[in-house]
Amino acid sequence: MLISRDIIRIFRVWVQTIASPLISATLYIFIFGKIVGSRIDLIAGVPYITFVFPGILTMNILTSAFMHSSSTTNFQRFMKTIQEVLVAPFSHIEMIFWLVTGGVVRGLIIAFGVLAIGVFFGAVTFAHPFIFLFFAIAIAIIFSLLGIITGLWANNFEQLSFLNTFIIMPFSYLGGMFYSIDMLPPLAQVFARLNPFFYFVDGLRYSMTGVSESNMYFGVFFMFALILGLGGFVYYLLKIGWKIRE
Amino acid sequence: MAEKALEITHLVKTYRGGIEAVRDLSFLIPTGTFYGLLGPNGAGKSTTISCITGISMPTSGTIKIFGIDAVSDYKEARRRVGLSPQEFNIDFFGKVYDTLYYVAGYYGLNDKERKASADSLIERFGLSQYAQTPFHKLSGGFKRRVALARAMVHDPDLLILDEPTAGVDVELRHELWKYLQELNKAGKTILLTSHYLEEVEKLCSHIGIINKGTMCLEGTKESLLSDGQTLEEVYLSATKKTEVTASIS
Repeated sequence: MLISRDIIRIFRVWVQTIASPLISATLYIFIFGKIVGSRIDLIAGVPYITFVFPGILTMNILTSAFMHSSSTTNFQRFMKTIQEVLVAPFSHIEMIFWLVTGGVVRGLIIAFGVLAIGVFFGAVTFAHPFIFLFFAIAIAIIFSLLGIITGLWANNFEQLSFLNTFIIMPFSYLGGMFYSIDMLPPLAQVFARLNPFFYFVDGLRYSMTGVSESNMYFGVFFMFALILGLGGFVYYLLKIGWKIRE
Repeated sequence: MAEKALEITHLVKTYRGGIEAVRDLSFLIPTGTFYGLLGPNGAGKSTTISCITGISMPTSGTIKIFGIDAVSDYKEARRRVGLSPQEFNIDFFGKVYDTLYYVAGYYGLNDKERKASADSLIERFGLSQYAQTPFHKLSGGFKRRVALARAMVHDPDLLILDEPTAGVDVELRHELWKYLQELNKAGKTILLTSHYLEEVEKLCSHIGIINKGTMCLEGTKESLLSDGQTLEEVYLSATKKTEVTASIS
């Protein structure tokens, strides 16, 4: 019930939740992939539009998942409607499942939309479909969990956009979204490999193009570790009632 | 069913910053009782209710709902309780019917039961013409009706009403009184907080008066009013005594 109510909310404000990210994704693919990309040579053996598409897809999945769970958590806290959930017989695990599922569903709706746009521009290939599904869902889960933490932490809308502005955006752009890290100077490559976002983009890129710049086993392990670590932390925050149970 | 609907023992709630809202509060509500909890603003009534329902975490003490520990066995305990809070905490953009339908689902009712419960409460509370209206478009009185209907949607054994008639017109107040009396006669245990003493005097069989987080007077309505005093006199005398005790200590 909680989950279906949450998913209905996604469609209630579809201009903000669905149309807006799809329009910006179309612009990204058209400008960077089609216009700029047509003047760029192959990267790692694939056309630039095909190379850059997984990066754009990653950015859209993680932003949608993050925005959904952070705004749901924060808005429910702010309007006190979270109390409706707190007084109901839900365990902490069920509450996590509710908030994460909403984020994952919104992330995947956007993913399908961006894929459809990518097909139109001839940017979509699938080298490893199951790995693609794993990374798409894992990225959505990780950013839904981060969204819950941010939604609990933020005391106003300015703070709510803090993580997106100062961490998510710069780290995703610096994580090889639009370029191969081979293009960077050696020292910058070391820093790029320390950027967790690099593994999100690289995993999805490998699943679509077959091109990878990191060890895929490490990438998969890293995703599981993040899900477990962040999941455990969110469980702890809900258990102590941080900022929701007075 | 257990003989004690609610048993609170040595409840303490200290907020961050050291504000002690509830101090060693103990009281018991027998099953089937209509219990009125009185006290001035800031006495700890809403905090106590928050601790019972899971909105706040008690600092210490125990809360048992029909013998079930409200902290360690919270899922089972919360199934038995319905809350109508003082402040509206309902989805502002959700339609009235949807709110009742979904919340019924939170308590494990199946689709058929959810529809039946929402339909019957919408009719009972005179909300039929507003069933498809978003909550934020309702007047204060109708919002209060929705809050009460939501508290009842899973047919709880213990109904907690925190200032249910605040901001409600006289007609609706009388209508609600009648409804609550019917519920109580049907076996529901009701815990009511109110600033309207005549409301508590009319409805409740047991009354507790708290001030500064502690119980200062408690008993059946008959025993509290046995000296021929009005409830207002009893209330003022009890809360004044606490003020004096607190200022001496």
